[in-house]
Amino acid sequence: MNEQQKNASINRILDQGLVEPVRAGERISSMMRELGLRFIFWDTGYSLFFAAITLGLAFALFILTPSDYLASAAVAVAPLLMLLAVSFAETSERLGGLYELKQTFRYTVRQIAAVRMMAYSAAGTLFTALVAYIGTEGEFSFLSLFSLCTAALFACATITVTLLHRTRNGWIPAGFTAIWALANLGLMFLLNDKWELLLRGIPVGIAALFAAGFAALFIWQLSKMLREVNRYVIA
Amino acid sequence: MLSLNRVSKQYGNFMALEEIDLEFTQGVYALLAPNGAGKTTLIKMLATLIFPTKGEILWNGDDIIALDAAYRDLIGYLPQDFGYYRNHTPREFLRYMAAVKCLKREQVAQRIDELLDLVGLSDVRDKKMRKFSGGMIQRVGIAQAMLNNPRILILDEPTAGLDPKERVRFRNLISSLSKDRIVILSTHIVSDIETIASSVILIKDRRLFAQDSPGSICQQLNGKIFETDAVDDLDIPHLLLTERQENGQTITRFASEQGSGEARSVTPNLEDVFLYVYRDEER
Repeated sequence: MNEQQKNASINRILDQGLVEPVRAGERISSMMRELGLRFIFWDTGYSLFFAAITLGLAFALFILTPSDYLASAAVAVAPLLMLLAVSFAETSERLGGLYELKQTFRYTVRQIAAVRMMAYSAAGTLFTALVAYIGTEGEFSFLSLFSLCTAALFACATITVTLLHRTRNGWIPAGFTAIWALANLGLMFLLNDKWELLLRGIPVGIAALFAAGFAALFIWQLSKMLREVNRYVIA
Repeated sequence: MLSLNRVSKQYGNFMALEEIDLEFTQGVYALLAPNGAGKTTLIKMLATLIFPTKGEILWNGDDIIALDAAYRDLIGYLPQDFGYYRNHTPREFLRYMAAVKCLKREQVAQRIDELLDLVGLSDVRDKKMRKFSGGMIQRVGIAQAMLNNPRILILDEPTAGLDPKERVRFRNLISSLSKDRIVILSTHIVSDIETIASSVILIKDRRLFAQDSPGSICQQLNGKIFETDAVDDLDIPHLLLTERQENGQTITRFASEQGSGEARSVTPNLEDVFLYVYRDEER
């Protein structure tokens, strides 16, 4: 930095005061105000349509699942709304050809994706409640199953955001969704009722603790994604 | 003023750029280097798509990472592979771009019409873009980059894939846009920038090799560029540059520390400099 630049920098700091980092809440609020829901979710219609079809198929399979496997099926299906919506939206953005360009705008495509993930995880929580309600049977209470499913939902959400952060690869959500579905099917078929019994044996308090912990981790990761653009580069 | 202070970029064990110092004020700055030399890495750092591993990029003395959205509001960017919505008209596409760039709605319609006029697409403003030529798509790209009236316009290989007529039109457009802003463009096509660049930046071996006006850069080879129609008779160490046909003869242009026999000294051009500087690079 030469003398002229130093002086210019000092003058700017004295004029304006130190630049304070923007908080995640402020960023979301300004995005809602300036972009609005319309442009945050612009061009996600097709991806949400395909996500809905895939989710419908998975949900039909869940309803048809024998009662001996309801808990393991519920845990497998619960995160799918969030995972499918994120996967299709991210893949659609990538294929659209404007991904790189949108990263250079005031609100980057990654920040927009973070707000979308928030909305999808909120919708995912409602879907989880529906799955837990349908899957509740006999001694296994709604609260137990809902806690387990919510823990699965936020564990998946946290892993997706963390992988996006660490690998900078837009295809990660789609890959992780496939792995999640296959891994759960594998556990159900390979371990038979042992997996189901293991899930049913987890105390509600522990499941709720995991759900709250993963939800906190997810919110923390999302807030970082909203604030630290330089750590969420795409190239 | 935009400046880079000792900027390095490393991908794993691979060092893409090392200790780059640059300053941009106003005018056209051309990043000229062969493919793979680090042009796109530098462009992407200026466009905030990636960030330096070491060093800093400053806008009027402030780090662009700290400036965050305020810096992104200052830039207009045209990527090398510019995606667009084929079923949109230019006007629809620019409206969408303006919305995601958070431009004021009341000013958008007029701005879009002005820009479509500027890039010569007024006649097709309401036609679907799927039938547009490469040059027309690039002009839509320029229009979207100019929507926010950027102080810094960043263009990554903007003329790649364009035919000669479209390239000339594009050059003229870029020249007209550089009157009151910084225009930074990367290219490996010398003719794209020879006439419009106020400053040429050469990168070699991951480092800044030279930054100067085209004339000054060419002057460095004064007295070292020659032409001859008898290249086989040359008995001095030389570097062959280009060949052309003239009156049924093959005229060979070469670089050498001294002249030889019938060879006549000629004024160096930017293409000579490019071929001379990157003589060892694989292409």
